[in-house]
Amino acid sequence: MNTLFSGVSYLGLWLCTACLLFLLGAIVWQGGNAISLEFLVSPARDFGKSGGILFQILGSLLLVIVAAILVLPLAVGTAIFRQSYIKSPAAKDALDMVLYALNAIPSVTYGIFGLIFFVNILNTGLSWFVGSIILAVMMLPTVTLASHAAMQSLSPHYAENAAALGFTRGETVLRVTLPQSSHGIVTGLLIALARAIGETAPIMFIATAFSGVSLPRSLFEPVATLPTHILALAQQSTDPQALSNAWGASLMLVIFVTLLSSLAFFARNKLNKLSQR
Amino acid sequence: MNQTAHLKIVSDIATIAAVSLQNFCAYYGENCILSDITLDIPERGVTCLIGPSGAGKSTLLRTLNRIGEESGNSSHSGKVSIAGRDIITGFPDVTELRRKVGMVFQTPCVFPRSISENVLFGLRGQKLSKIEKREIVERCLKSAALWDEVYKRLDSSALSLSLGQQQRLCIARALAMSPDILLLDEPTASIDPVSARAIENLVMELSSKMTIIMVTHNIGQTKRIADTVVFVCDGQIVEYGAKTDIFSRRSLKKTQTYLTDEFCDC
Repeated sequence: MNTLFSGVSYLGLWLCTACLLFLLGAIVWQGGNAISLEFLVSPARDFGKSGGILFQILGSLLLVIVAAILVLPLAVGTAIFRQSYIKSPAAKDALDMVLYALNAIPSVTYGIFGLIFFVNILNTGLSWFVGSIILAVMMLPTVTLASHAAMQSLSPHYAENAAALGFTRGETVLRVTLPQSSHGIVTGLLIALARAIGETAPIMFIATAFSGVSLPRSLFEPVATLPTHILALAQQSTDPQALSNAWGASLMLVIFVTLLSSLAFFARNKLNKLSQR
Repeated sequence: MNQTAHLKIVSDIATIAAVSLQNFCAYYGENCILSDITLDIPERGVTCLIGPSGAGKSTLLRTLNRIGEESGNSSHSGKVSIAGRDIITGFPDVTELRRKVGMVFQTPCVFPRSISENVLFGLRGQKLSKIEKREIVERCLKSAALWDEVYKRLDSSALSLSLGQQQRLCIARALAMSPDILLLDEPTASIDPVSARAIENLVMELSSKMTIIMVTHNIGQTKRIADTVVFVCDGQIVEYGAKTDIFSRRSLKKTQTYLTDEFCDC
């Protein structure tokens, strides 16, 4: 029985690793041929068939950085409220249910909501800022749940001892809970960012243009992003140059996602060590 | 219960009451944990709360600095006063009450910071110079009998200390607030006998400067360090008085049974 379980576990491990390596290998192999310094620092031309991906990189970074700035206080605030202020178990369960439900909503639904609410009702037009808001809403459950998990893992003795020293609940949150759970908050944020930077569906209707845009000069202008650029190039896949550029843009996206995931792993270990100093 | 008998014992020792409870009842949800407690705890000295598990000793202790309120589901009736001031109406800001009434819990809990930062942790918001901070750290660690063991590594993590040292650091941290009363909830329950003895000595030393109220299950420890003993069982005070009276044949039969067999049939 033990051998059977070990065998199934190893098989699962190797299958997953093989799939991942095959996928990464294909992207690196094909994308590596397309990537050059010029490709990275030039704007796209001719609907992306020629030129580079400069504004797609900058647009993607702008969207996710602003989304991170928007989501962080909301998510941490929600997690603190859930951890330190809600007393009723029923209310805690209700909030958890909402967060898990939000986490399970398909990303395209966020995009459709953004289209109806912001673009149609509020008449914002295509706006990178609306895209950041929608990405922030999409990231909210992930960051909140990760932050709350980190806060929940803290010993309840900390809060009790802080209260015995005359700390108010707010002081306890600021001086004990937040510093001690920073590793979970940062990890959750980076993992959510890694997911958000690769999303196409939530932003394609509301925040991006497929060609002809540079850096936005106001909140209500569209940007170009890597995922929507890849989508646009994939639709021209009969053209070898477009296909090559699609591989190059895909490789850049994978590099960003890998960087953010690695950073999350590094930050978790580093901050965890610092908080246990 | 012979209420008159033990009230007489207390009247001999309680010259000035540091803590006074009148018809105090405590509830957790709808459950009554303590009922109709009337008690005067004398100023200075060590008052030990003894009794079987679940008797309500810790609830009684946690009432005195209102830390029980943190659980959100507790309520009480009756009057509790500290040096004549009602703990509810006399201390609208609970922070002030908790500065006056320090508390150390059963499980040592140091914050993941340096030893000196732990001592100063409760003094946030006070503008202190480096020299003042150093003086406070030294005074409190000396008072907690920890200075000699840690003075060379004040900037090291408090987590590197042994459990017994951590518990003394918790006491030093509470002392930094200059409390009038120190509540100790089984402070030696989770540490080794040598460290426990060090804490007992420390408690006796501190008792000349402040009122110490301590919950303990250890009858030997009560005999060694208590000045006054309160025997709590099933949410009520069975008897309280000077240690010599409680441990003598003058005490009630129920108390004597608990003190000899550590058993109570309340």
